[in-house]
Amino acid sequence: MAIKTLAPDEQPKLWQFGQEANDMISTKTLGFWLYMLSDALIFAGLFAAYGVLDHPMNTAGGPTEAQIVHPIAAFWQTLAVLTSVFAYSIATVAVKHGYRQMVVLCILAAILLGCVFLALELLDFADLYAHGATPQVSGFLSAYFVLIATHGLHMAFGILWLLVMVVQVIRLGLTAPVVAQLLNLRLFWQFQAAIWVCVYVFVYLKGAI
Amino acid sequence: MKFRSLLFLAIIPLLSGCSADTFRLFNPVGAVGSVEWRFTVIDVGVMLLIILPTTVMIAVFVWRYRKSRNAEYDPSWSHSLGLELMMWGIPFLTVIFLGYASYRSTMLVNPYNPAAINYTDPANPPLQVDVITTDWQWVFIYPSLGIATVDDLVVPAGRPIKFWLTSTSVTNDFYIPEVAPMIDVMPGMRTMDGFQVNHPGHYEGFSADFSGAGFSWMQFSTRILAKPDFDKWVAATQGSPNQLSYAAFTKLAEPTVNVGAKPAYFSHADAGLFMQVYNAARAGTVYAIPEQLNIVTSPVDYTQVKNGTN
Amino acid sequence: MFVHLQGPYSFLLGRFTLAAIPYNNAIIQFAFAFTAIAALLVIGPVLYFRKIPYLFREWFTTVDHKKIGVMYIILGLVMMLRGFVDGLMIRTQQVMADGPHSPGFLEAAHGYLPPSHFDQIYSSHGTLMIIFAATPILTGLGNIIVPLQIGARDMAFPTLNAISLWLTAVGAALIMVSLFVGDFSAAGWVGLIPLTELDFSPSTGVDYWMWAIQISSVGTTLNAINVIATIVTMRAPGMRWDRLPIFTWTTLSTSIIGLTSFPILGVALALLGADRYLGTHFFTAGMGGNLMLYTNLFWIWGHPEVYFLVLPAFGIISEVIPAFSEKPLFGYITMVAATFAIAGISWTVWLHHFFTMGAGPLVNSFFSVATMVVGIPTGVKVFNWMFTLYRGRLTFATPMLWAVGGLFLLLIGGLTGMMLAIPAINYTVHNSVFVIAHFHCMVLLIVYAAFAAVSFWFPKVFGFRLDETTGKLFFWSFSAGTILVFTAMFGLGFMGETRRLDYLFNTQWWPALVIEEIGIGFYCLSLLMFFVMLFVSIRDRVKNAATADPWGTARTLEWLTHSPVPFYNFAVTPHVNSRDELAWRYANNLASTVPDHFEEIHMPRNTPVPIIIGALAFGFGFGLIWRIWWLTALSLLGIIAVVIYRSFARDKGYHLSAEVMTQLEREPPLGVVSESQYLSEPPLGASGARPLGHAGAH
Repeated sequence: MAIKTLAPDEQPKLWQFGQEANDMISTKTLGFWLYMLSDALIFAGLFAAYGVLDHPMNTAGGPTEAQIVHPIAAFWQTLAVLTSVFAYSIATVAVKHGYRQMVVLCILAAILLGCVFLALELLDFADLYAHGATPQVSGFLSAYFVLIATHGLHMAFGILWLLVMVVQVIRLGLTAPVVAQLLNLRLFWQFQAAIWVCVYVFVYLKGAI
Repeated sequence: MKFRSLLFLAIIPLLSGCSADTFRLFNPVGAVGSVEWRFTVIDVGVMLLIILPTTVMIAVFVWRYRKSRNAEYDPSWSHSLGLELMMWGIPFLTVIFLGYASYRSTMLVNPYNPAAINYTDPANPPLQVDVITTDWQWVFIYPSLGIATVDDLVVPAGRPIKFWLTSTSVTNDFYIPEVAPMIDVMPGMRTMDGFQVNHPGHYEGFSADFSGAGFSWMQFSTRILAKPDFDKWVAATQGSPNQLSYAAFTKLAEPTVNVGAKPAYFSHADAGLFMQVYNAARAGTVYAIPEQLNIVTSPVDYTQVKNGTN
Repeated sequence: MFVHLQGPYSFLLGRFTLAAIPYNNAIIQFAFAFTAIAALLVIGPVLYFRKIPYLFREWFTTVDHKKIGVMYIILGLVMMLRGFVDGLMIRTQQVMADGPHSPGFLEAAHGYLPPSHFDQIYSSHGTLMIIFAATPILTGLGNIIVPLQIGARDMAFPTLNAISLWLTAVGAALIMVSLFVGDFSAAGWVGLIPLTELDFSPSTGVDYWMWAIQISSVGTTLNAINVIATIVTMRAPGMRWDRLPIFTWTTLSTSIIGLTSFPILGVALALLGADRYLGTHFFTAGMGGNLMLYTNLFWIWGHPEVYFLVLPAFGIISEVIPAFSEKPLFGYITMVAATFAIAGISWTVWLHHFFTMGAGPLVNSFFSVATMVVGIPTGVKVFNWMFTLYRGRLTFATPMLWAVGGLFLLLIGGLTGMMLAIPAINYTVHNSVFVIAHFHCMVLLIVYAAFAAVSFWFPKVFGFRLDETTGKLFFWSFSAGTILVFTAMFGLGFMGETRRLDYLFNTQWWPALVIEEIGIGFYCLSLLMFFVMLFVSIRDRVKNAATADPWGTARTLEWLTHSPVPFYNFAVTPHVNSRDELAWRYANNLASTVPDHFEEIHMPRNTPVPIIIGALAFGFGFGLIWRIWWLTALSLLGIIAVVIYRSFARDKGYHLSAEVMTQLEREPPLGVVSESQYLSEPPLGASGARPLGHAGAH
């Protein structure tokens, strides 16, 4: 394939003048989607570990899956996280219309519901500990606790981020960088809910059957 | 070209001892070893059919198209459908052939159930040997004969040998070059291996998976004896004053470097010792390594371990 | 905390006591003296010429992708030097400790290294070479070259770029510290399980290894995000996907591999960390653990990782060979297809690293076939390079020597790889030095490609060419070492020598070991040649000053910039008209056409945030290793605080007016440029913020 040579009167464009159109928001959100892909793979690895260790021979004489999962209690957690995401979605609609107060209120609601989720989770862990089901007992319990605690840690960081965004919206207003962060946070928060749904199905529901 | 003229140096390692004994992997014995060697030759042969002409062509092009030689120059040639079809197609066909060869050979040498060995001949039943690795010794138990050895595997020629293997500590890799294929030996797990050699001989086995400070001394001698010699050896061992109870075994399993791989013999091993060790590992029994072994500035402790007196 | 730790423990210092410093070990004393002298030789002149403010202003707080790339490469080369010394020590120990009558020196029964020390040395050799030498050098090259090849002004996320660099440097720093404070892992660079559990590795060694890798892996993942976003969103106008330079394509696929596979390594090490710190039972033999899980998770990362390393090397060879053959790359489209085929298939082959674990013949056969299938696109690349050479006009400058040398290494590595792909063969050579020789052929291919890249693009970055004569001496001595060491090693593999032996039990191996030691001698000679080359090149830098295209036959867009590249890359973003844009401009007599006027451009601003995060990450890692919990907690809180603080920052850039651009282009700045004098330009916008709806640059 020969190098394309020009026609005698052809004037090729060699330089690009004009405003450098590099859409900051779309670049930042693409970058965050890529980060979430890596986060998804962390959870994939943890689910793989759970899938391997979720077997009677990994209980080492300790509690089995059916004995420690509480799908009804976890259902309330599921409700909490899904309504938290819903509250944040309303915040996003408010961002579109520029209603700062609504944005702040909805994010605060999302924070509150997220805290409810974490409180329920910690209560569940405390209950398990009281019954002697700790991660140090068996490989299965190690996998159970670490998978759920990793998700819980993500939720905790998300709540911290939500708090920071409340402050940013109040102090800086809905500027382009702030909006980019709000969009990324939306992705992060929805992702945590999606992971929780997977946890609920593959750990709590499957374990209770 | 200077680069290729240095290749003659490759001869040197080959001259270093052309005896059959030196290149162990080229001199397999027994059913499984022969299969491994056969497929090595097939694989290398088939690959060389592609690699050798490619190497030669690259060397030729590099020589011929140097700027100073003013050879034919065609800067517009950068695509050819025919060549593309060949360079995807020929390797593809090669992989189909080698893939099948790989499958066949894996079935033949499968450590769990090698197709190359017949375990079900009633006239020649397999000899069962239980293998337990510790830090850093090999314990061989013969459940049907009641005896046990440390660092010395003695088996009769002409009979299939079947192994069950487990570890008390970390992962090792049971391997006897020329004779037996490798299998990982892991704590809390049972695995299997097997071989059959029809002529007497003396070989050296070792662990092929690093297992800690005493790893370099983790060899075991492998003696394949003719049947009458083997029976004599069994009788002699059954007269040994040592016994391998579970309690004696736990002492043996403490971290010990057996410098020189000195063998030991036991006239009686507890029945079910293998399963006891296996269950103990699954229940969490661990023979922990003292930190002194891992710190470089402790010559005294290391010396004790060196001499096997720790 | 939750686990039984051997040794003393206090709240203030965790496990750390003065006894952790091996001050009475002769080898460590020597290493310390050597390192101290080397450090003084570097820091001394810096202090004497009062360069600390300059270094801080221009290098340690920079977000310029070129300077970050240069620092990555310097880090990688220094770690490669230490990794080479480790390799030298391994070879010397093995040649001295062959046979029961071999003498013992210092504290060793045979040779001069007791087992635990030897084990730490080969563990650090592997870890350093793969994670802290090869990865930073290739990452640095991608950092410098990819934005230039696509006509961009910087990466998509410049600050994140710098953070990635400093996180990698922190990992390397932890390993350097492990040399003098405590010990390093003695369980191999892979972290053999269950040897890495606290029962069998009770000291801090495995923790150093674990956290060094974890922290630098965060940097690598962030860098992957950066590269992908840059290539997707910041290509110059006209740079369609079918016009993208091949090195950029391979860097894109490498980054996709890195982004998706490094999290799995993170999980594997985190679960091991849970076992070591919290007493869980993920990988213990008993109590319901499954140690095979670690092996699987590790190698699910481990195999894509090696393609993460080798694909940029293939990209480099694909750039160098066409440039020095004065021909376009043969089969560009299939090269790109092969690259992504390799990347995709690499996810399906991981079990070939442990065929002997006993997965059964059907599972082993599947992975065997998959391993052979991944060899098909690799072969296609070799053939395409071969046909690029055909009817080209070849010049053998130093980069071309390295590239063609790498090609021969790939042929041998590929042949031996196909042997290892067959389980029946693998059951005889697994974990033997045959495997070591095979993968060293592959990593040396990467090293050859790295040296090809460094010598190829050096004039572009620094403005003067490296000396050719000494460069070729470096190449030939390095190649002599390679041939001697690894030919002998393949032979030893067939003789049955297994790997990781500090004492060798078979005296028949001795002649081959001696050949290997002679080979190492050639490597030492090549190391000397490398420094001579640097000295001569720097001494003659004015004589060897480089134009925009110092080789005369370059083909891609980055060669359109001045040499050295100014900190703003292109004064005006080029419009791309063809694949191999520069070759197209040469063919149409447009290569020396310059823009007739200049416009204002935006540049990202330097910031100390990345290096602060790096310092805090070091505290975090060190605290975790020695279980100094207050240090860990404070460092983590500090990182979070800095990140939050940074997120409130209003202006992260500045602009250069059209007048400044015109002046700069009239006399392009020579040498690696001081951009900080331009930082006094006013920041963007009085409020620093743009209201929602205003599309455009920050």
